Amino acid sequence: MVDLASKMLVHEKLRFAITIAGVAFAVSLVLIQVGLFVGLLDNASVTIDHTDADLWITSRSTPNVDFGHAFPERRLNRVRAIPGVERADNLIVAFMTIALPTGAEESTLVYAMSDFRWGLPRDVTEGELQDLRRGSFLMLDESAARRFGSFDLGEKRELFGRRLQIIGRTKDAKSFTTTPISFIDYATAQSLSPALKENTTYILVKVAPGADIETVRADIRTRLPHNDVYTKAEWSARSRNYWLENTGIGFSMYLTVFLGCLVGVVVVAQTLYASTMEHLREFGTVKAIGGSNWDIYKIITKQAGLSAVLGFVLGAVPSVAAGPLIAKTGLHLALSPEFVVVVFVSTLALCMLAAMVSFRKIASIDPSLVFRT
Amino acid sequence: MQSLVATEITKSFREGSRSVDVLRGVSLSVAAGEVVGVEGPSGSGKTTLLSILGCILTATSGSVVVDGQEVDRDRPAALPAIRRRSIGFVFQQFNLFPSLTALENVEYALNIKGTKGRAARAEAEEALELVGLTDRKHFHPRDLSGGQKQRVAIARALAANPAVLLADEPTANLDTETGKQILDLFRQLARGRGCALLIVTHDPKVRAITDRVVTMCDGRISEGTLQ
Repeated sequence: MVDLASKMLVHEKLRFAITIAGVAFAVSLVLIQVGLFVGLLDNASVTIDHTDADLWITSRSTPNVDFGHAFPERRLNRVRAIPGVERADNLIVAFMTIALPTGAEESTLVYAMSDFRWGLPRDVTEGELQDLRRGSFLMLDESAARRFGSFDLGEKRELFGRRLQIIGRTKDAKSFTTTPISFIDYATAQSLSPALKENTTYILVKVAPGADIETVRADIRTRLPHNDVYTKAEWSARSRNYWLENTGIGFSMYLTVFLGCLVGVVVVAQTLYASTMEHLREFGTVKAIGGSNWDIYKIITKQAGLSAVLGFVLGAVPSVAAGPLIAKTGLHLALSPEFVVVVFVSTLALCMLAAMVSFRKIASIDPSLVFRT
Repeated sequence: MQSLVATEITKSFREGSRSVDVLRGVSLSVAAGEVVGVEGPSGSGKTTLLSILGCILTATSGSVVVDGQEVDRDRPAALPAIRRRSIGFVFQQFNLFPSLTALENVEYALNIKGTKGRAARAEAEEALELVGLTDRKHFHPRDLSGGQKQRVAIARALAANPAVLLADEPTANLDTETGKQILDLFRQLARGRGCALLIVTHDPKVRAITDRVVTMCDGRISEGTLQ
């Protein structure tokens, strides 16, 4: 079977290149923008997702994990007394001011516990977590180097005016706002801020094997009527959704995706339509030699499909390859295989949609135009 | 045996609010192996007649029978099937696909007519051999002369052995010598294959290869054999 569709495309190399470039641009725009955004959203819940807690108890209406509100720490005892609770601990998450060697002051998001036995932080690259209990010590995530400058173990930093010694380094502890995360002892955190005296911001709960999470949650709600209780998945989703729903970032991302799709569709539709108009006589000839409208629809559809596949490959490969480069800037390009497949299918579908713009013109082609000079 | 029979066909087009009669009762038949020329001034209805006989347009009234099958003017969707099975066209502008080679142009027409794969390739090569273009079969139309393009167009039109071959001014874009060669080829192929050949033309040289000539004027056949 002679492949007229492909040969027509390749015959007009410049037009074909423009079409593919348009699709590739749209694909890379969507992949990179959404990948960056999902990477940021991952940061918004990364500490929740890697913490070994089944339930998170928060003060009422806490919007996300970074913005913890204080409540009395003694409520922990009530929780520990509930049947089905294997263990429970207080966790303080609070922004604190850190003084840098340059004299500048920055914010750091402090995570404080008496015993970091919850898989938090996920990855300690230097130092021992237990040493935090010994007093005025802190561990800093390596991502802090970008904001705070490079640091070494043994150096000291001031948190709320008190000097703490850096005794460890963690990895992949991040927040949505990219504020660097520090880990300190629970008592140290309370001593730094009057607002935290005898208060905590979260209680982490591990449910005993065989116990029903919903039953335990219901019991906690009964005994702590002024707190909210979330499962790990709910709290993770709430923390992510906060940034989507309460800032312009989500809208901006949706707008970018929409514009990317629009650019792709318009470029493909415009070039296919222009190509159709220029090939009217050829399509008239197809009809004259016995071809049907469907034969021509197949040509246009195949051209759209080829543009989609090649454009996707040319857009996706550099986008995925850009991941390591983007990582050097401190951002994370989160491109799951599922998302890449969704973008591919969408690209194909949108290019097919663009092809349909030409269908109406094809249906109206008068084959007798082949007799015109 | 008559391959093409048109009886009292009329064709009217609407131009704004008024109706223009382009054909006013044309009757014509062409037998297998016969070559008929259609002459007439511009606007006389030659091309419209060719379109209706070639099942590209339907007549307003009258009947057309192609290769023994009556054309149902109320079913335009059935026309492509008749064109595929029974009709070949040769155009003044050649109308070859610029992106395809000579061989692919013929093969594509065969694909449309239902012959695929190696059979189509072999038949296309045979058709090009018949018109003397074997050595140019891998050339694109841009690399062929006018005469060579028209030979490819003839090979394409003859692909799948149509009962009726319709040619619209086939020598108009060719020099005298090339035009003569093309006409000789037409006659040889039409006679050899038993194909009914109708040529619309202004070129007086065409008369040399026709069995008869009809002249059209104002939508009617004014001279010639109204067989």
